[in-house]
Amino acid sequence: MLDDASANRRQVEPRVGQVILTLTTTDLEPSVQVRSLHRLSDPALSELGLDEFLDELLVRVHDALAVDTVAILLLDRESQELVARAAKGIEEEVERGVRIPIGKGFAGRIASEREAIFIADVDHADILNPILREKGISSLLGVPLIVEGDLIGVLHVGSLTPRAFGERDLAVLQVAAARAAPGIERARLFSAHEHEHDIAIALQRSLLPKGLTSVAGVTAAARYLPASDEVGGDWYDIFALERGRVGVAIGDVVGHGVGAAALMGQLRTALHAYALEGHGPGRTLELVDRFVQALPGFAMATAAYAVIDPGSRVFRVASAGHLPPLLFGGELDRIVEFPSSAPLGAFPYGSCPEHELILATGETVVLYTDGLVERPRTPLMTSIAQLLEDIRPASSPEDACQLAFERMVPLDAVRDDAAMIAIWIDEVPSELSMRLPAEPQVLAGARTAMRRWLRHHDVGDLTAADITLAVGEACTNAIEHAYSPGAAEFTLEASTDDGVVTIAVRDRGGWRAPRGLDRGRGLTIMRAVMDEVQINRNAGGTEIIMHRRWRA
Amino acid sequence: MASVTLADVQFIERGPALVARLTGEIDLSNSEALGTAITETTPKHMEAVILDLGGVDYLDSAGIRLIYRLREQLRGRGQILSLVIPADSPAYDALRFAGVDRHIDMAETTEQALSELDRTSAFGALDPGEGQL
Repeated sequence: MLDDASANRRQVEPRVGQVILTLTTTDLEPSVQVRSLHRLSDPALSELGLDEFLDELLVRVHDALAVDTVAILLLDRESQELVARAAKGIEEEVERGVRIPIGKGFAGRIASEREAIFIADVDHADILNPILREKGISSLLGVPLIVEGDLIGVLHVGSLTPRAFGERDLAVLQVAAARAAPGIERARLFSAHEHEHDIAIALQRSLLPKGLTSVAGVTAAARYLPASDEVGGDWYDIFALERGRVGVAIGDVVGHGVGAAALMGQLRTALHAYALEGHGPGRTLELVDRFVQALPGFAMATAAYAVIDPGSRVFRVASAGHLPPLLFGGELDRIVEFPSSAPLGAFPYGSCPEHELILATGETVVLYTDGLVERPRTPLMTSIAQLLEDIRPASSPEDACQLAFERMVPLDAVRDDAAMIAIWIDEVPSELSMRLPAEPQVLAGARTAMRRWLRHHDVGDLTAADITLAVGEACTNAIEHAYSPGAAEFTLEASTDDGVVTIAVRDRGGWRAPRGLDRGRGLTIMRAVMDEVQINRNAGGTEIIMHRRWRA
Repeated sequence: MASVTLADVQFIERGPALVARLTGEIDLSNSEALGTAITETTPKHMEAVILDLGGVDYLDSAGIRLIYRLREQLRGRGQILSLVIPADSPAYDALRFAGVDRHIDMAETTEQALSELDRTSAFGALDPGEGQL
């Protein structure tokens, strides 16, 4: 039995009612309960997450000592406070997020002195945490949790009735603390790492574009796969530019974890913003490079950015130290090698050359990151050639992504994150036929499709602009008519025969007579630019048929 | 929602006139929002708005409606709408096809519009060189 008189005192002065204990004997009879504490260092338990591990510890200590309460407080290194993390019998500690400064009160003193403390009578002791009194705890015994000389927390037990914790009790608690502490630290590190990994993946995913297929004139597919242990900074992006052009970007930030994912977000945004300003691929990458140079601290990334014009089929690309694009489905499947600048952030005032090629019908361009091709003991160019070989049979951009990730990624251990984007220019049909929702937002896409179709048929630029204007007016008219209930649609058809373009726009709305000058202008414009305009109205809707000769 | 990436507007104060320079494509999806942006941005004390359509790639009857509506709204506030529409621009073609080009006063350049405003001067001496803010 221990009491004030028999306690083995050290130089440290205990506070009122506290007794600092040092164990003199470790003579424990091996009861079932004590053996269960010894097994706290069982490797199988290290598989548990922190919460599960602590719960296991609480139960075993509770049973071994037949106490009313058990609590575990862990050290928050930043604030130097003990934070209640798990408790049995005094769950309020955890629920209320009790924090005890090191050196203060019962648990705080155990932490600062790194010694066991016994409190025989809580009512007359220096206690900081009001919950201990509220619960009616009478006696307390606590020990520090130490791993390799570092304090990581405090484990304490309590009794609702006055109890003089003896040497055996202390020995049992010491064993529990010694056995559990390394497991707690391991589980804590594991949980923190898991948590960071989860955050990084969530961040990554939130930054990748959604709705790839919404860009008119092209079809694209993309994949992103985070590394199994640590997320990286890979990204891809695709967006509509003015005049129907499409921007496609891919990049890879040097580094891993949340930091890399956050930098990725910055670079992706910067590139997108500069691209929207209308800069070409080379200048866009140069500007992103200046942006990276201006960031504090180390930041480096590789990136490739391309602008595709579905009308002229021109693919213009620039690369800042990124892997070369792949091209397949045309006359010659190949790795598109061209001069690249240094990676973004590598050297001040780098200049980024552009490379241009024409995409044939059905030809697919593939941009990717090194996670998709890097293999141990395999030269990079060999793996890239292998990737090209693997995706060649693909019948679409989506198919190419599928093949690439099936064949290239060893799913059991993704060493680096991997991203890929595949894109082709949609084939221009000999006759255009579009069904569109009757909303003003579809007008720009309809004009883009129209311009492409006219260009494909070699209609001259000036005539094409006139016809596009008339089509814009006819579609606007259909949208303004759409006042029938439910989701209204209209159709746009274009064909050409013997040098004459025929346009048909049909809606299901009732015709509304032009009101005032405003409403008649569209019709005036259509009549001015087309050779012939017919308007047919009936109960089913309105149709506008227009003809224009573009070749004699 | 207006298609904000389809067109853009930049404002420059030139003395007692606000120059609104439009770029991109103007259609039913964004004409109303552009008109609102221009009237909201124009300070009460401005005597004129110079609408520069020289950088516009596409404009149809929705854009023409914007011009007329803007002129009405500014007139209601005692302000003048002056137009910059170069003869080789898509905007000019649309006005011509709609048959309204003869009814609208337009200048080839912003400088020309400024000096004409100066001449008809409801607003006294204007130094285009110094007026830029």
